[in-house]
Amino acid sequence: MTPLKFQAPEVPEDKARAGYYALLARLFYSGPDAALLATIGETGEIASGAEQSALADAWNKLAAAARVMEAEAARLEYDQLFIGTGKAEVTPYASYYLAETGREKILARLRGELVGLGLARSEGAHEPEDHMAGLFDVMRHLISLGSEDAALQKQQGFFDRYIARSFPGFCDAISKSEKANFYKHVAHFALAFFLVESEALKVF
Amino acid sequence: MKNLTRSKLSRRNFLIAAGVGGAATAAAIAGRALTPDEPKAAASNDKRRGKGYQDTAHVRSYYNTAKV
Repeated sequence: MTPLKFQAPEVPEDKARAGYYALLARLFYSGPDAALLATIGETGEIASGAEQSALADAWNKLAAAARVMEAEAARLEYDQLFIGTGKAEVTPYASYYLAETGREKILARLRGELVGLGLARSEGAHEPEDHMAGLFDVMRHLISLGSEDAALQKQQGFFDRYIARSFPGFCDAISKSEKANFYKHVAHFALAFFLVESEALKVF
Repeated sequence: MKNLTRSKLSRRNFLIAAGVGGAATAAAIAGRALTPDEPKAAASNDKRRGKGYQDTAHVRSYYNTAKV
């Protein structure tokens, strides 16, 4: 196996999309460390053209939350939310939100698709492939392949099959959890971003 | 056949209007900020960094290209 190399796409908007997928993958795989919190916080206010967009608004709130969040607390919060013996407070696996039963079927299909894309889970990873962070990494990879129609179609297909119908339930579960604080802002931003993605992947 | 050039522009326009374009700087900064949790992975990653983009700890520990 060769480690995956990510190249930033040339189209600035796709570069931004890849960046957001990378960030969300990181934040949903484990709690942020101090350096990551600091960098998110340092981005400051984003104005998005003439009118304030839901995405910019959600980002600004996430940045504000990152500025006052301590890394240790964020890590603890991540563990309490997404990791648990038995059932986690919020499960980070997409197939749970896609179907109540038949998770194995979804996983088998996903594994087949990953093989087709030349992707595989690394030896160090123990999480099943439908972990949200893993799916976001796949999107990031697909975005890095280019902005041509064929590349966009791949993105659209993968997004539709695994993310489009799982992110609302996932983000909603985080928003409703009493254990969530910083991650409420992460979920809010993720929701805003994926709503944009849902629309953007239809318009090409 | 749809007009490819036109549809590409409308996709980009949509993304810009939605704030993705406006927030591009933030995304790039955040994308660069993805610091590794595992020191081992960090060492191996340093050589592979390019164009300001850094793989996430998750990326390195999770998905690899399987083109052997």
